Amino acid sequence: MIRHLFKMIWNKKKQNMLLMVEMLASFMVVFAVFTLLVYNYQNYRREMGFESDNVWVINFNNSENIASLDTILMFREAIRNQLKSMPEIKAVSYSSANVPFSMSTHNGTLDHNKQGISSVNRYTGEDSYDDVLDLELKEGRWFTKADFGLKDNAVVINSALRERLFGTGPAVGQYIGDVSGDERRNKIVGVVKDTKFKGDFQAVEYDMFHRADTGSYRYLSQLIVKVIPGASTDFEGRLHKTMSSAIKNANVEIEHLSEKRVVRNNLSLVPMIILLIVAGFLIINVALGLFGVLWYNISKRRGEIGLRRAVGASGVSISKQLVGEALVLSTLSLIIGSFFAIQFPLLHLFDLPSGVYIMAWLLSLLFIYLLVMLCAFYPGRQAAAINPAVALHEE
Amino acid sequence: MITLRNIEKVYRTDTVQTQALNQVNLDIEKKEFVSIMGPSGCGKSTLLNIMGLLDNPTSGLVTISDKNTTKLNDKELARFRNKQIGFIFQSYHLINDLNVIDNVELPLLYRSTSAKQRRDLAKSALEKVGLSNRLRHFPSQLSGGQKQRVAIARAIVGNPEIILADEPTGNLDSAMGNEIMNILLQLNNTEDTTIVMVTHDESMAKKTHRLIRLFDGSQVQ
Amino acid sequence: MLKNYFKIAIAVLRRRKFFTFISLFGISFTLTILIVLAAFINNIARSAYPDKKRDRSLYVMLMDQRSEKNGRNSGPPSFYFLDHYVGSMKTPEKISIASMFNATNTYINNKKLVINVKYTNDAFWDVMEFDFVEGKPYITQQIKNADKVTVITRDTRDSYFGEGVSAVGKYIETDNETYRVIGVVEDVPVTMLYAYGDMYLPYTLSKRDYLSKELNSNYTAVLLAKSAADLDQMKSEYQDVVSKVPVKGKEFDKLYSHADTYVASYTRILLGDGMESGIGKMFLILSLVAFLFMLLPTINLVNINTSRIMERSSEIGVRKAFGASSGTLVLQFITENIILTFLGGIIGLLLSWGIIFYINQSNLIPNIHLTIDFGVVFLGVLCCLVFGFLSGVYPAWRMSRLHVVTALKAN
Repeated sequence: MIRHLFKMIWNKKKQNMLLMVEMLASFMVVFAVFTLLVYNYQNYRREMGFESDNVWVINFNNSENIASLDTILMFREAIRNQLKSMPEIKAVSYSSANVPFSMSTHNGTLDHNKQGISSVNRYTGEDSYDDVLDLELKEGRWFTKADFGLKDNAVVINSALRERLFGTGPAVGQYIGDVSGDERRNKIVGVVKDTKFKGDFQAVEYDMFHRADTGSYRYLSQLIVKVIPGASTDFEGRLHKTMSSAIKNANVEIEHLSEKRVVRNNLSLVPMIILLIVAGFLIINVALGLFGVLWYNISKRRGEIGLRRAVGASGVSISKQLVGEALVLSTLSLIIGSFFAIQFPLLHLFDLPSGVYIMAWLLSLLFIYLLVMLCAFYPGRQAAAINPAVALHEE
Repeated sequence: MITLRNIEKVYRTDTVQTQALNQVNLDIEKKEFVSIMGPSGCGKSTLLNIMGLLDNPTSGLVTISDKNTTKLNDKELARFRNKQIGFIFQSYHLINDLNVIDNVELPLLYRSTSAKQRRDLAKSALEKVGLSNRLRHFPSQLSGGQKQRVAIARAIVGNPEIILADEPTGNLDSAMGNEIMNILLQLNNTEDTTIVMVTHDESMAKKTHRLIRLFDGSQVQ
Repeated sequence: MLKNYFKIAIAVLRRRKFFTFISLFGISFTLTILIVLAAFINNIARSAYPDKKRDRSLYVMLMDQRSEKNGRNSGPPSFYFLDHYVGSMKTPEKISIASMFNATNTYINNKKLVINVKYTNDAFWDVMEFDFVEGKPYITQQIKNADKVTVITRDTRDSYFGEGVSAVGKYIETDNETYRVIGVVEDVPVTMLYAYGDMYLPYTLSKRDYLSKELNSNYTAVLLAKSAADLDQMKSEYQDVVSKVPVKGKEFDKLYSHADTYVASYTRILLGDGMESGIGKMFLILSLVAFLFMLLPTINLVNINTSRIMERSSEIGVRKAFGASSGTLVLQFITENIILTFLGGIIGLLLSWGIIFYINQSNLIPNIHLTIDFGVVFLGVLCCLVFGFLSGVYPAWRMSRLHVVTALKAN
């Protein structure tokens, strides 16, 4: 039977060519959409790795005219203590500008054992940084006062970077990064769970946390604070006032991480929704087109169908044949489409894990088959209902 | 009027070669009404298509109104058909999406005739076939005989010198068939139109001036 | 002849209603999406309130300092650069200097307001044509004195003082500072980066050091020429000025900054590089996206049209028999197809009009006002023609090659 189907298709290859091109193009569109969806869904399913509820960010993008570093340090210390003394605040830490869900990123290549690892995020925070964000430690510890003034810089890395650098071997206590001359070396004191600082749809990235040292206070212009649940706007107003009067020449802005999260997620969601709407429209378009063409083909083949019925084919087998023909046709297009699809993981286009492509490929195959079956089902039923006597008489 | 010299028509597929026409020679005079008969598959329709320049012979010469048609290109052929020849088919071939008068006007669309003139010519052609009261009907609303009369009107509207009819009465009962035949005879009489008609019906053929019989691609008499 | 084509096109469309529906659906939705997209792009690119003089303005938003060794420092230029260097230019009639907007907070009645503050010079009010609901802008003297005065938008007034309450002469507090309101203007959409803000302040009130001699900071400029003809001259004068700026320190050795037309000032940030404005790249990307997007509906239409046309083989045979040449027939079917696409185009235009109306009404994007203007309609018509032609040409070609005898027999 399959052979017969292939023969039918081959003999009408000119007519079927266009249908195949259409199925192929649809497959590529569907494949692209599924790749994006699978990728984002996989990322979405991962845990955040930190807690963003009741965390506020205080931005004070200022240019303080305080010359000496000691003065800055004292001044910063004073602010920190003032905030800590507020009963609504549970924890405070200065942070580099790349706070969670912000548009700011600090990343660069990490040279380790003469090997460059690109796009390693660098975060700077204080000893209480992990308390504010509820980071989950998997090995070792977070920074403490004891890390101050040592020969080496204390750093914390995330699990992904740990696995990349040390595999299953020990990580805590190891040095990370190559240094030249008398630069201070970075020593790992802890490993945290992977976090999604860049929103719910962030892929796993390499993160490295640095302890804020005295030099870094010149440019740290963000504070992150953990407040008690249900902290009021009234309190926020007081906090704002405190900050503005403490830092005279600054614009002070308070943001809530929960709100920043929505904004950041929208950056991934809005393009996805637009793409889905557009792809959905394209697919409806194609489905209607396929349906129309298959339907038309059947009305053209009434004679043939009548003859098949006359020589003993049942109605069911007629409709099976027509759906089968459509499926064989789509299989041919899908084989060509798969050839193109397979290039993505092979050539490492777009740098996505192969698993995403394979999953997207399977889903796209399934989707196209379902679509074709759906489009062929009704015309097939119609064909089965053709009365052979009438159809043959027409000839 | 129509001269066929050594016409051969061979259909080739990968495996089989079919000789549809074999050395056909034919002269049809002006104002003649000729009928062609023969069993199914003897090449009647092929011969008619060749006369109507719808198909090319494999070899041989077709001359119509003293014009050698072998060297004409697609565009010239189209013009020639438009001016010189009118067709009538067994299954009418009316355009279902056009009403009666628009169907009749069709040949005039492919020459420069004003809309008003087209309308007038089409009306008078329909008058000749006795259908002036059905101008706005669509083909689906007509009987077989009426459809064929529309087709005749369409064939004569351009005032061609030749009408080629492929079993014009084949789909009709004898009463309607006679009606159609009478119209054709009258055309031949009053308008001096040369008519070539393929038919299966001996009684129809007898009404024409001359009968040509084909058998297996060759002319028998 | 055309009338005849039209008549038969309508008849065919009415007979095969389902196919007609599919075709019209495909065409109209594709066009709707393209037109709405074009309206968005158009909205961003076109002169609009309050930036009404784009045809004779040039925009500066980028100062790009580079060195082989230290990478690059690129971002908006500083007030110093724009005031000291760009301010010395002769061609511009006026130079508006304004900061990017900074978010500030204010807390009233247990409510938090985020107010985006923009610091400007006085020429800002001449270059941008704001509609004042009440009051007036600040003047040179007030800027010199660093008077604590401000112009706010209607939205800000409504949420701070209450809906429709007059604000001029009253005091508004944000970021722990108090300012006297001297003017209220109509709102500006956030897409108008050079003009957008909730609250405008004299640059002398800026908490950032506007006297700092760094080249990169937080300011943008709009250079207004006397006429559009002066733009080229202004561009080259700007380059002269930039070439005279001493590259400070040892950190960077190259410096790029351009006075661009409005759209180019954005594409330079997204796609530009050094001297390249990136506007060509943008057009390439946009046309590529549009092409890919139209590909599938076109294949679909070709498919449907092929079916449609082959169904009419008897008609084709008859027309050929009665003297239609292949060329005439191709023309007929392409005309039919273009008629069909135009119908789809009209539906598409109506749909996009509805969608744009909805977007404007629903305030989905605050303060945005999309319009279908003549250019967009023209684009739609052009799309229709291309669409109709592309999807009609292959089926028509196949049909015209149909042999008369086979065409007649097929019935």
